[in-house]
Amino acid sequence: MTISKLLVANRGEIAARVLRTAKARGLATAVLRHVAEQEGPAHLIADEVVMIDGPTPVAAYLDISQIVAAARKIGANAVHPGYGFLSENAGFVAALEEAGVTFVGPTSEVIDLMGDKVRARAFVEARGFPIAPSAIEDDDPTTFVERARTLGYPLLIKPSAGGGGKGMRIVREDSTLKTEIETARREGQRYFGDGRLFVERYIERPRHIEVQVMGDGQGNVVHFWERECSIQRRFQKIIEETPSPALSPEQRLEICETAAGIARAVNYRGAGTVEFIYAQDGAFYFLEMNTRLQVEHPVTEMVTGFDLVAEQLRIAAGEGLSAAQSDIRQTGHSIELRICAEDATADFRPAIGDILLLDEPQGEGVRVDSGILDGGKVTTDFDPMLSKLIVHGADRAQAIARARNAVQNYVILGVTTNTGYLDAILAHPDFASGDVSTGFLAEQADVLTAPGEDVSTLLMAAAALSDQRLVTDVMQIPEMHRKMGGWRN
Amino acid sequence: MRRIESHIDTNAADYKANFAAMSERLKEFHARQHAARFERPQRDIDRLARQNKLGVRERLKLLLDPGTPFLEFSTLAACREYDGAVPGAAVVTGIGIVQGREVAIHANDASVKGGAWYPHTVKKIVRLLDVALENRLPVVHICDSAGGFLPLQHGVFPDRYLGGRVFRNQVKLSQANIPQIAIVGGHCTAGGAYVPTLSDYNIIIEGTGAIFLGGPPLVKAATGEEVSVQELGGAVMHTSVSGTGDYRAATEQHAFALAREIVSQWKRMPKTIIETAAHEEPYYDPKELYGIIPKDRKTQFDMREVLARIVDGSRFHEYQPDYGTTMICGFAHIWGFKVGILANNGVLFNDSSLKAAHFMQLCNQNRTPLVFFQNITGYMVGREYEERGIAKDGAKMLMAQGGSVVPKFTVIANASYGAGNYGMCGRAWDARTLFMWPQAEIGVMGADQAANTMADVKIRQLEREGKQLTEVEIAAIRDPVLEKFRRDVEAYTSTSELWDDGILDPADTRNALGMSISAALNAPIDDPHYGIFRL
Amino acid sequence: MRRIFMIAGHEAECWLTHDGSRFVLNMPDGAVPCQLDPTGAPGAHVLRTGGRAHELRLAVGSESTFIHLNGRTFEVGRVDPDDRLAGREGAAGGDRLLAPMPGVVVSVAVKPGDTVTEGQPLLVIESMKLETTLTAPRDGVVAEMPFTAGDSFGLKAVLAQLTPQED
Repeated sequence: MTISKLLVANRGEIAARVLRTAKARGLATAVLRHVAEQEGPAHLIADEVVMIDGPTPVAAYLDISQIVAAARKIGANAVHPGYGFLSENAGFVAALEEAGVTFVGPTSEVIDLMGDKVRARAFVEARGFPIAPSAIEDDDPTTFVERARTLGYPLLIKPSAGGGGKGMRIVREDSTLKTEIETARREGQRYFGDGRLFVERYIERPRHIEVQVMGDGQGNVVHFWERECSIQRRFQKIIEETPSPALSPEQRLEICETAAGIARAVNYRGAGTVEFIYAQDGAFYFLEMNTRLQVEHPVTEMVTGFDLVAEQLRIAAGEGLSAAQSDIRQTGHSIELRICAEDATADFRPAIGDILLLDEPQGEGVRVDSGILDGGKVTTDFDPMLSKLIVHGADRAQAIARARNAVQNYVILGVTTNTGYLDAILAHPDFASGDVSTGFLAEQADVLTAPGEDVSTLLMAAAALSDQRLVTDVMQIPEMHRKMGGWRN
Repeated sequence: MRRIESHIDTNAADYKANFAAMSERLKEFHARQHAARFERPQRDIDRLARQNKLGVRERLKLLLDPGTPFLEFSTLAACREYDGAVPGAAVVTGIGIVQGREVAIHANDASVKGGAWYPHTVKKIVRLLDVALENRLPVVHICDSAGGFLPLQHGVFPDRYLGGRVFRNQVKLSQANIPQIAIVGGHCTAGGAYVPTLSDYNIIIEGTGAIFLGGPPLVKAATGEEVSVQELGGAVMHTSVSGTGDYRAATEQHAFALAREIVSQWKRMPKTIIETAAHEEPYYDPKELYGIIPKDRKTQFDMREVLARIVDGSRFHEYQPDYGTTMICGFAHIWGFKVGILANNGVLFNDSSLKAAHFMQLCNQNRTPLVFFQNITGYMVGREYEERGIAKDGAKMLMAQGGSVVPKFTVIANASYGAGNYGMCGRAWDARTLFMWPQAEIGVMGADQAANTMADVKIRQLEREGKQLTEVEIAAIRDPVLEKFRRDVEAYTSTSELWDDGILDPADTRNALGMSISAALNAPIDDPHYGIFRL
Repeated sequence: MRRIFMIAGHEAECWLTHDGSRFVLNMPDGAVPCQLDPTGAPGAHVLRTGGRAHELRLAVGSESTFIHLNGRTFEVGRVDPDDRLAGREGAAGGDRLLAPMPGVVVSVAVKPGDTVTEGQPLLVIESMKLETTLTAPRDGVVAEMPFTAGDSFGLKAVLAQLTPQED
């Protein structure tokens, strides 16, 4: 099956990134745009922009029938879902199938299986892969609290239908277990329409390591090595890198082959990511499998040299994988920084505003996947992530140095971003030594948001001299009186 | 223009002695000025705090543009009246900058007798409003006054230049299209009620500001009605019911922010164009004036040395340098403004009077403002000079000076005696501003001459009665007269009586003149025209 | 002329003057001569102060100036103290509920005219992936609920307004 026209059912940086590869492959391209949405880079790249509408901008991007209709209307015979939105929605895949449109991703069955954390765990466990001890509410809600208690503290409660860290809670004391379970259930219900939970033993100072896999749906599965994503805030990844500084070559091989094995077990098609919890003692446990392209996929591309979106499109077109496992090697080191519109000094409050000036860093080993344009507007309609800054270096030290240089020269004026916070993380000695866990950001919160050198006088001078009203008011004072200053007789 | 070449030796003994004497005088002057501005009995400070009011100096700070000058007038007004208990005559006046605009400011000082109007208060306010009228300066009134000081009502109320003149001047200002704003930060009772109501804009501060013709006690006495201050004339009533008030301010800060916003709405009128040059500081240090001005008033000094420490670049183009040499005439710039300067270098003779009259006509023809530096003991007397027509030549000078259409400014630098005061644009001759230096004297004649003259009259009268007086008896007659005269001619007496716009530290003269000239250019300059010169 | 600058939550009042040859920034604890010249690239300037030159990028927004200096980006809020004072609003602070952060309204629990007691939930907002329930700051009557579920709002938006209290 040949893909002739691809609709990217997404927005922001990922839409632009997918479109670039699609265009390079010679495909006709289209992308969605909500009627109230700012123009972004994707709209400039795509051959065609399809306007969508909905009660909220997010709702429009989740509106399966509208998007399927859009694909049909413009004659797209394939849809790339990006990440988030409908990327892991089996109903969307089914609707596309019905409409005769190819979904660039796995089958709806696999999405269904991996989307249900409870079933996914059971599936993985049954095939002998390592998982953390867990209790599952579905088994028997009435005894859930009791059985959870037997796992021992600390515990991690998660919504069965969840993802992206939403609704997760750590429980350290028995006294709060019951109320936390109730709260998590309510949140699961609200976010995912599903109040089922599962609970697992929470591993102290864990690292988050994941493996990029790719299958052709014909039984061939390869991995593209791991990514370390331990720099997280409230379960949201902020900085990702590869290779992981924690793994020995033997461990690396073991964890990557485990991931490939899991993908093989479901005869995986397309790009996927198997996430693991990595304990300080070197043990690792299956966490979940994401059946889509991940936000942080570029670091893998930077060290392997493969274009993962191109691989996705090849597979969707039935062309199979372009490489055998032995062709896939890691060269150098790559780090990705998520540039978000948020105020790190004010409890990471989302920031909004007009982008008054945008100047992205350039240079050797620097890549920017951006979802914003100079002159655009940042609203709370969508996720606060504006862009991703990805760097590559010969080794980790060079990658860190390049990342710092690039993030310091990333000029986004008009909306508060986390660039200073990201730089503070990169500058932290524990990050430099690689001695981090998923709790790093919380533990070092004060250090990372500490004010730097006081430049307030410079800032006030610059702000004053660029304030036209102020300057005009001052210059309207007659020159003589200005020169006399505050003279009194 | 060439630089004046100074011949002052700053290492000379007399320079140092002069410097020490002037420094001593200035120490006293600045101390008195500071006291008049800031030193108040604790109970008055407490009362203001209790009333939740800011002091007048804080109010000025809120009003004025930061980092801009304020030319304060007559800080020591009334310093020799009322046992010194009414510093500054309970009012602050001056020229300042608000939103880049020159404005005249009249601000009651409620820390002095509740801001009550004494005779000298009225005189000071009327003078300020005259300044505003002459120079077409917008006026900011900061009202906070207990009203006329009743025990002295005769000196406050009835005469032509007393209380009514304040309001009359307000009307004239309005008629002349000159905007006024009043900030009511206290009570405006009876006549005082007309200050805000005759202003184009007014702002009443809630809680402290009130306007009424009769306050609650008077109302109760007159009609038996019992009513609170706020009900009778508070901010809410006036801004929502009577329309007497325009804006209601929650706090003093709010009021002055509003006032600044209102002032910024005012149209900036183009100023009168005169010759100007780029600003240049004097080449010679103005502080050297302290050593130039002799500690003994009778010692002669070269006024060019004074000019060299006031004018731009110490540059001076002297007119008729070799004729009538007791009268220095010439052109200079002060803060870039081209001015014609007349400065005394001795007594006025026929030739110096004619030179002055001619030079003033040149300046009028050329629209060049005039600046007078007085050190004048008078026109020369004696048979020879009368025969040469000294009175006739003096009259020509007065005709030219009094008939000048250009703005005039006067600095009484040392002596200001007799008709010389008139010829050199004394108070009666409408100088836009007139300042005195602290050692300067003003009188019909010097204190010694006056005392001697009066003592001689007395002694001769006693002699006619056949009494032979001893030295001791003569001294007993002469000394009290001398003492009284010495005091009467002092700058402090002049400034107390508002015969001037204030005493200046000589080093401040350049800025005071710059502010004055700049303000004067808000008014147009008429075409020159004169009365009849006695030729 | 005065400005209040807000940097990282701190306010500093200063005023700008010009002595004929240069600008001077006056602060309560001192004054610095300063000069700002564009260098060509968008927003690029050189700030000269205290004998040193600093390269920076800046953009002037309606209420804040954004400055990129020494690899860091700063937001400097600008307030004209006269505007702040002259533009005082009538309603007292206790009458209104301001958004602590931008977000989306999840649900609204009361409607105008309802009598509420202190601490009673008025609406639920979602921001930062967390639900926050906003409660009545005092006993009173609801005057206005400007948003409905699904609406998004900015920082300091008025989310609820109570009728003013009588003394």
